[in-house]
Amino acid sequence: MLKKTFRTLSMLALPLASGALLALGAQAQTADLAGGNSSAELKQLVTSKLKGKTVAWVPTTLGFPLTDMWTHVMKQEAEQMGVNLVVRDPAFNTTAQLDAVTALVASKPDVLIVHNFNVQLLAKQLKAAEDAGIYVIQVNMVSNYKTDAYVGADWEQIGRMVGEEVVASCGKGSGSSGKVAVIQGQLTSAASIEQLKGFTTAVAKDPSIKIVSSQAADWDATKANNLTTSVLQQHPDLCATFGFWGTMQDGAAQAVKAAGKVGKVKVYASGEGSRQDCNNVNSGLFHKFLNYNGPNQGRAIMQQASNLLQSGRKAGSARMAFYSTPSWITKDNFDPAVCFDVPKAKAK
Amino acid sequence: MTTGRTTIAAAKGAFLPRHVSQDQVVLAVTVVLVLFFSLFLTGFASTGNLLTLARNVSVLGILSLGMAIVVIARGLDLSQIVSMAVGPAFAMNLAGAGMPLGLALAAGLGLVVCLGVFNGLAIAFLEIPALFTTLASGFLAYGLARLTILNGFIAYVPPGHEGFVFLGQGAVFGVPMPIVIFAAVALLVHLLMSRTSIGRFIYAHGDSAAAASLSGIPVRPLTLLEYMLCAAIAFVAGLVAAASTSNVNTQVISSTLIFDVILVVVLGGISLSGGRGSVWSVVVGTALIGTLLNGMTIRNMDGTLQNIVKGLVLLAAILIDNRLHPRDEETARQGE
Repeated sequence: MLKKTFRTLSMLALPLASGALLALGAQAQTADLAGGNSSAELKQLVTSKLKGKTVAWVPTTLGFPLTDMWTHVMKQEAEQMGVNLVVRDPAFNTTAQLDAVTALVASKPDVLIVHNFNVQLLAKQLKAAEDAGIYVIQVNMVSNYKTDAYVGADWEQIGRMVGEEVVASCGKGSGSSGKVAVIQGQLTSAASIEQLKGFTTAVAKDPSIKIVSSQAADWDATKANNLTTSVLQQHPDLCATFGFWGTMQDGAAQAVKAAGKVGKVKVYASGEGSRQDCNNVNSGLFHKFLNYNGPNQGRAIMQQASNLLQSGRKAGSARMAFYSTPSWITKDNFDPAVCFDVPKAKAK
Repeated sequence: MTTGRTTIAAAKGAFLPRHVSQDQVVLAVTVVLVLFFSLFLTGFASTGNLLTLARNVSVLGILSLGMAIVVIARGLDLSQIVSMAVGPAFAMNLAGAGMPLGLALAAGLGLVVCLGVFNGLAIAFLEIPALFTTLASGFLAYGLARLTILNGFIAYVPPGHEGFVFLGQGAVFGVPMPIVIFAAVALLVHLLMSRTSIGRFIYAHGDSAAAASLSGIPVRPLTLLEYMLCAAIAFVAGLVAAASTSNVNTQVISSTLIFDVILVVVLGGISLSGGRGSVWSVVVGTALIGTLLNGMTIRNMDGTLQNIVKGLVLLAAILIDNRLHPRDEETARQGE
């Protein structure tokens, strides 16, 4: 008897509850502006959604041109948006990053932006953040756990584009040895894994290309320098070397220079377009550089933060990605203005 | 006072033939490896490749020479990589801002020597164990430097200093400059350790600090000197690395480089219990690591496997060190 009453009640409750939800939803809908409202009202609406919101940003480290530039641009954008930007610098230490993100999730910012060291480190924390209703944006190196938005390079595309260039200049009919060396970053980083995949797929289309060395230099120019010196010794007729980051590939370019092979061994790199990248293209040390434009990425990151906050959607209710547009910097189209200098005022 | 080579005859539980020292074992292993690679790795046995091999480990070798001085005196300097990175980075920043290169280099050297003095003071006078002192001072110095004098992780060698870049990229009679500098530093350290009274004092210090002190050796000022030398030599290593890549990435301090340095030092037979080993130990240790690394690179072996091999070699070296220099009541006491 009692059971029956319960069942009837719950049957009634369900439509009632959904009705209430619908009504609430409708209310939220009407709270937004109609098309005919004034721009002052629009501004008021946007301000009401952004004002006093906290955006937390955890890069792998500050101190590299790339991360300093992002942070610089993000601060400018945050000021314009009227949100509060909190920066935590784990100084290239994975444990410190894990701790920082865990602590931030507990303090519940409105948006959490992370730059993953590798595909696994933060996976659990990102899920926890999403469950706690925090929007999560991942930058340039994505985790195994995907969140509201990814902003950064499409690494497979980057690898493929360089691969196609290498096929064009070292492949069939080029008269070269077809020998290519690859300098990877950290083996477990998404940027490294996906660039390698895109590159190897592209060069596999031409059987005359041989990858004679493919080793990890852990984003370190000195390691890239030593590896390249050894490879040049074994393969003096090397046609090209491709490094997954300009700052690291700088070391490989210096090894090519020390061996007196500038121009003969074509040095390719991808990167954010810092001043040194442009200098290397201009001096001929880099044959071609694929730029994914750090300052633009900084802007895109904050635009996504703004977008998520204004949308009012539930955290984790979408999986979006915004891929940076890559462009080649070569000696022919060289323009120093394409590259950036980190503004002197230090990122704090 | 024990000198350069310790023979197995003195050790308990010997498992090697009599009169074999650790550096001889390492040399033999190196020769076997070189022969093995020459037979089975195409492209290994050429003058060019052997020079490349030596060049790639020259910076490691120079660092190990500095560490050797400290370890022979039964100390340890974990802040060495900070000296190697921060000094040259500071100098390059100054040079980039327009300071004459000589002056900038002197400023960089002065900075790292200060770190050496700090280490020496804390260890000799406050009597804090070297392990903790240098671990802390390294973090402290690097953090302070990042906050004040370094603008980001990477310092670039300013353009137009081709003479400086020659130190890393040039060659004399076909021999790359890093090897030449390694040889020069090795010769200087060898002369210091074996031909001067300071060198003999350092061995005495490592053998027994108490005995050295009782026999009138100024052990505390000597400690200061040891850590200053270690830091200054690390600065030279940093300059060679900077000239090779034309930039300094101070991020190197969070790499495993310091363990590679300790690996080379221990491998060659410089016992962590002090007073033993010589420059020759560093040279053979460096040669073995260089051969291994070069062979693995030519084989295109992946990074994780390379780490496994390095770990195994370090374990073997410590095992041999333990057998040759068994711990007893006297040598077990550390950090006095």
